[in-house]
Amino acid sequence: MKPIQHLFGHKDKRWALSWVLVVLVLFLWDLHFLNRPSLKLVVSGFINTMIISGLVILFTLVLGWVFTILLDAMQSRRREKTHFVVTFLLNLVRSIPQIVGVLFGYVIVTTLHRQGIISSKMQLFPLLAFAMALFIFPEVVDLMRERIDHYRKLDFFNAMRVCGIRESRIVNFNILWRNSRIHIFNKLISVFGIAVFLQCSVDFIISVGLSTDVNPISLPPTLGSLLAHYDSKQDIQSIASLFSDVSYFPQLFTIHLQGVSVAFLIVFTLVSIYNISNGYAERNQL
Amino acid sequence: MNQARFSVEIATETRPVVSVSDFVIEPDTITFLFGESGIGKSMISKAIYGLIDPARLRVSVNGRNYSEYLRRSWTRNLQENSFFVFQEPSSHLNPLVRLHEQLNEGSLSKATNEEDVLRRLWQSVPAETLERILRIYPKPYRPSGGEKQRLLLAMAFKKIGLFQSSNPEDRTNFFVFDEPTGSLDNVYRNLFLELLFDTFRKSPFTAMLITHDYSIISEIFQKHNDILSRVRFKELVRAGESRVSVRDFSPDHYLNWLRKASGSRVPASSAGEVVLDVSPRFSIFGRKLGIYADHAKTRPARLTVRSGEMVYVKAPSGVGKTTLAKLIMGLYQAEEFEMKLLGKTMTHQTPPRMWPQKVWGKNAGMVFQHADEALDLEATVKETFDGLPLEKGRNRSLKTDIAELFEGEIDSSFLNKKVKLLSGGQKQRLNLLRTLVLKTGVVILDEPLNALDFGSIQRVLAILERHRNRGAALLMISHNEEIFDALVDPALVYHLAELN
Repeated sequence: MKPIQHLFGHKDKRWALSWVLVVLVLFLWDLHFLNRPSLKLVVSGFINTMIISGLVILFTLVLGWVFTILLDAMQSRRREKTHFVVTFLLNLVRSIPQIVGVLFGYVIVTTLHRQGIISSKMQLFPLLAFAMALFIFPEVVDLMRERIDHYRKLDFFNAMRVCGIRESRIVNFNILWRNSRIHIFNKLISVFGIAVFLQCSVDFIISVGLSTDVNPISLPPTLGSLLAHYDSKQDIQSIASLFSDVSYFPQLFTIHLQGVSVAFLIVFTLVSIYNISNGYAERNQL
Repeated sequence: MNQARFSVEIATETRPVVSVSDFVIEPDTITFLFGESGIGKSMISKAIYGLIDPARLRVSVNGRNYSEYLRRSWTRNLQENSFFVFQEPSSHLNPLVRLHEQLNEGSLSKATNEEDVLRRLWQSVPAETLERILRIYPKPYRPSGGEKQRLLLAMAFKKIGLFQSSNPEDRTNFFVFDEPTGSLDNVYRNLFLELLFDTFRKSPFTAMLITHDYSIISEIFQKHNDILSRVRFKELVRAGESRVSVRDFSPDHYLNWLRKASGSRVPASSAGEVVLDVSPRFSIFGRKLGIYADHAKTRPARLTVRSGEMVYVKAPSGVGKTTLAKLIMGLYQAEEFEMKLLGKTMTHQTPPRMWPQKVWGKNAGMVFQHADEALDLEATVKETFDGLPLEKGRNRSLKTDIAELFEGEIDSSFLNKKVKLLSGGQKQRLNLLRTLVLKTGVVILDEPLNALDFGSIQRVLAILERHRNRGAALLMISHNEEIFDALVDPALVYHLAELN
């Protein structure tokens, strides 16, 4: 009884579990009611979106950590000019709206894909994720810098330094790992949400044909591109028919499953991530 | 008010925080409650006073649910008639209300003793300065820590005055002063004690002073011994993982120890090698500071520390004792400064990289004042020593060193306990040990007796004495003048002052 209470007692764990269970139930429902080609599309769209978002987390963390350490080292060694240049570049990236930046990155990656320079998913997914991480990682840098600055202001930093502990160990291990990993993890949950949202938005924009340079047909399906799919759009449009015929409602769950499933997966995933992040912050008193 | 005995249990959702079964409030007495920081003195007092949020912690008082305890007329009368002076005055003061208005909040506006209280607590301050202080907002004008503390004390004395003059039907009262002298130097501390005892002499009330300042005992014995029969000295001691117990603290125990320490202090000698020699004048942050060999500050002197010596630097709060320590350790850049550390001259022009290369953890170490800030609270006791530049094989003797300072508390569960779960006194000892294990030639100790109970003070001083005997040079910075004046030869006491 206690483990179940433990699992459901916290908002973040409750939402994480709910997300898994709901996705599982949806899969079983689709398995029963959705035709096989569409089911295959929805499943691969979902998995591809999750893989790319997972890779975004990885790249964001690596880029964020590396830039944080670089900036911190430049600051403590008083390399003011280099520090200024790197900060300027970071601010330049920050000044570009994420969605515009990612769209631009996608245009490049998909063009490379169309020209055959990139062919496999193994090459494509990391590049798409990297394009996204490039415009998200400044947020992680900000958080990490804030944590380091906080500890530098306290006696924490100096008390360790005068004991002869290496500065790199204090920053990387004591501050970032031991005392900030909860904060960083919470940020990465948000990054996952941002990645899903950006991916769906950009894939949708590309798929409806905003960028004429890009041919989305040959790209692996994602939730965003599936949402722009002709069948999905029809399915979603069918929701509007409820205004004229309410009795049509049950058929949404049996006939128009592709569009409704994709839309539901996107919305429910984003809502879940939002609640997991909030619950995690509350539980750890961040 | 009759004697009240309390059994208090405080816990979070997941673990017990503190519990006590023998906490007694004696009516019409002043109780001084000692005990190491973090042991639960404030929390238990707050629980009895009814200040803990039942939504945050699970509290039971005398077996009663806390919400029920808060509804009792006894608790409500106590809150109505009394006052709680918080340890951190900033947490009490409203930043958006002028200090004078806060001094007259609620029932305090009816008190008639304000003028007398203010005059006595700000005795050496001109009336215009006091008026100016009272007109300001706590932020952004920022009164000093001492001023804020005295303002809260003034509020408490106004409330005591009200209680004494109003003669309420129910005489339940409990005035709590949580570390009331933490931000006061000895002059203001003594003014506060004088006012407290004079007010008590007029008409008794029930008060509890939570403190670590054992030198208060000497002051009471010297100047207020007429009232000793109404004064209690108690100590909160650990009786289990989260259990604590209240026991009588013998003031003679402290006074005798002090006399003995004073009689056996090591005289200054010129035998040891000079390991630290600081110029008598330096300037930093636009301020010029001077080091003197006498209290009257007529004899400027180089601060000289020899191996095997314990040297004491004293100054009123805020003058720059910690700044001097950080300057020696290369943590601040001075405008003008010169010193010799183990024969090597270092000035304000010495490149900052010299300290990590030559000084930190190799030739000199420093123990910082606030263990809560200086230690990695997420590390375990054992992990606190990771990353230190210890000699080969030193790790093996680490457990012995820890055992020496934490006698009776050492087992594998203690070594694997997170630092954040230790009491304030344990943290302070760990903070000290992290520097002492480095066995550097010079050790600077900034308020090393902070947050310690008397037993821990004795243990820490014994350890320091052993280090001194082994040839370490100790530079002590502390406001705990009574203890260090007793321990350190007057020839090794220096005074720091700001130059006009």
